Amino acid sequence: MFSFKLGLKNLTRQKRRNILIILVIAFAFSSYLLMDSLMNGMEEMSFDNIKNYDTGNIQVAYPEYWEDREELLLENLIYLNPDMEESIKNVDGLLGMSPELRFKANLNNGIDEVAVRGVGISIEQYNQVFATQNYVVEGSMFAPGESKAVIGVSLAELMDLKVNDYITLLVRTKDDTFNTIDVEIAGLVRAPNPMINNGIVFVPLDVARQALNVGNAVSMITLKTVSGDEDKVTKELTDSFKNINLDLKAYSWKESASSVIALSAAKKGGIGAILSVVLLIGMLGIINNVILSALERTEEIGMMKALGMREWEIVFVFMVEATGIGILGGLAGCLLGYAGVSALVKYGYSIAYIGGDGSAYGIPILDRIYGTWNYPAFSFLFILGIIIAILSSILPSYWAAHKDPVKAIYHR
Amino acid sequence: MSLLELNKVKKIYQQGKIKVPALRGVNLEVEEGEFTTIFGPSGSGKTTLLNMIGCLDTPTEGEIRLNDKKVSDLSRKALAMIRRFNIGFVFQSYNLIPVLTAYENVEFAIRLIDHSSESQMKEKVLKILAEVGLKGLESRRPNELSGGEKQRVAIARALVKEPKLILADEPTANLDSENAAGVVDIMRKMNKELNTTFIFSTHDPMVMKYAKRCINLKDGMISADERRE
Repeated sequence: MFSFKLGLKNLTRQKRRNILIILVIAFAFSSYLLMDSLMNGMEEMSFDNIKNYDTGNIQVAYPEYWEDREELLLENLIYLNPDMEESIKNVDGLLGMSPELRFKANLNNGIDEVAVRGVGISIEQYNQVFATQNYVVEGSMFAPGESKAVIGVSLAELMDLKVNDYITLLVRTKDDTFNTIDVEIAGLVRAPNPMINNGIVFVPLDVARQALNVGNAVSMITLKTVSGDEDKVTKELTDSFKNINLDLKAYSWKESASSVIALSAAKKGGIGAILSVVLLIGMLGIINNVILSALERTEEIGMMKALGMREWEIVFVFMVEATGIGILGGLAGCLLGYAGVSALVKYGYSIAYIGGDGSAYGIPILDRIYGTWNYPAFSFLFILGIIIAILSSILPSYWAAHKDPVKAIYHR
Repeated sequence: MSLLELNKVKKIYQQGKIKVPALRGVNLEVEEGEFTTIFGPSGSGKTTLLNMIGCLDTPTEGEIRLNDKKVSDLSRKALAMIRRFNIGFVFQSYNLIPVLTAYENVEFAIRLIDHSSESQMKEKVLKILAEVGLKGLESRRPNELSGGEKQRVAIARALVKEPKLILADEPTANLDSENAAGVVDIMRKMNKELNTTFIFSTHDPMVMKYAKRCINLKDGMISADERRE
C-alpha cells in the first residue's frame, strides 16, 4: 500500500510536465467526444430529414420503377385500387399514407428556365406523412382543390419568384408529348432538408395527373409508420401484396438513404481512426512520461533496489503514477467533452463555416448540425484511457525497474 | 561466528575489449558488532567492495558468505530479499525520496518488511528519528532539511528495519565537519546500543579516527587491516 501512496505522491513531481500530458490527453479525448457527438447528430438529423421530408418511413412502388426511380419516368406507375389501399391500411402502426406522382419538369418564370423535380401530392394525405407544412416561411401550403404550387426558398431566390407569382412547368406527358402546368405559388418552404428547398415543385396530385395524362396513377405511395418497425412492416406489406397478386414491393427509408448510410459507415471508420489517434497520443504521452521519470529518478530506483524492493514493486510505483495521469487526463477530457457536447447540443455547428449547405456534401441538413449525447462514449473512453495508461506504462516501468542497482545508484 | 566472510573475491569489469580488475582477490572476515572503515585512494575498489558485501553486485570469482550463507551466486531476486531483510544502506548523496517527508522516507523502508499495526509502526519510526536527533522534524521534506539532517534521515531509514549490517559509502563526503562529526556520533551510538555492524568507506580522517577497525584498500587488494581497542 505504501507503494501505492508513493505512486500517487509522485504525481506531484514534475507538475508542469504532468499537467501538459494531462492536457494533451484531455484535448485528444474531448476532441473525440465532440467529433462523436457531431457525427452521431449528423446521422440522426440526416435520417430524420430523409424520413420527414423525402421518403417517409416506407415507400411502396413497383420494383421496375424503384430501380430507376431517380429517372422520374412515367412507366411502371401504380394504379390505385381498393384492394391495394386496404392492404396498406391494414398495416400495424400506420400513421399516414401519401400517394405521389414524381415527374421531370422545367420551371419557367417567363425569363429563365431550370430543371426541377415535380411532385404531385394530395395535400391532406401529404401532411399526414411529411412535416414540410411546418416550414412554410411565406404564404401557405395549397388547400385541397386549389391549383397552386409550393416551392423551396432557394429555388424561389434562384428564379426570382415570390408568393402569388405564376410559374409554368414544362412537362412531357406519358405519351411523350409536351404539356405545361401553369400555377400560382401558394407558399415558400425552408425545410431542414436542403434537397426540398433547392429543386422541388409541389403541385396538387390531380393537376399533375391531368397534365401528364396518367389517369389515376402515382409513382409511389409513401407511408408514415412507427419508427423502428420499418423492416417488419416492409416484409408484411410485400407479403400482403403477393397475396392479392400484386408485384408491388415495400421499401424501407434506409434503401433510399443508402448514400447517407454509406457516409455514416464511413463516419464510423473515421471515428475509429480518430479513436486510434487519440489512444496513440495518450499512450505516447504516458510512455514518454514514465521514461523521463525513470531517467530523472535513476538514483532513487537504485535506492529502492538497495532497500530490497522487488522489480514488480518498483513497476507498481511507476504504474500507479502513469495510471493517475491517465485518470486525470481522462477526467479532464470528459469534463471538456461534456462542456463541448453541451454547446453542440444547444447551439449546433453551422455548416456555413465550411461553406454552402449540407446538400453540397451529400448531407440532407440545411444549416446547423446539432450534437447528440452519447453517454456510453464517455465511460467507454474513460475506462479505455485507464486501460491504455496501465498497459502503456508496463514496458517502460519494467525497463526502469530492471536497471542494474549499482549503475542506478551511482547513475552510471 | 563471522557475520561476513569474503574468500578470494575478484571483480573484473569489461570496458569494451579491455578487462579492468577492480578487486584482485580480497579475503575478509567481519564479526558482528564491528565498526569498520574501508579507506584508500580513489579507484582502489572501496565502492566495488561495498557493493559486493551489500549484495548489489556479484563477484567475478570468489565467495561471499553472509550469516554463514553463501550469497555470491544467488539470483537477482534472492539477493533483493537478502538486502531487504539483512542490510541497510547509507549513500553519500542521501538518496531520499523528495516527495516524502522524513517520517515517510523512514516508514518506506520498514513497510517493506514489517506488517505491524499502524500505531506500532509509527512508534518505531518516531523512536528511530528521535534517536538520530530529528525529533520535531518528522514532517519536513528533504528540501527543507540540511545536509546533515538528510543524512540522519538516511541513517534512520537504514536502521529502522534493524538490519545486522549497515553499509555506508562515504556518508560524510557531502557534509561539513560539524555535521560529519554528528553523523559519525550517531552511527557509533547505534553500533553500541543495537550492536549493529557498520562498514563504511571514507576518505575522512576524522571518521577513521572513530573506527574500531581500519582496512586499507589499494589497487583492489587489502594492504592493511588494523584493529583498535
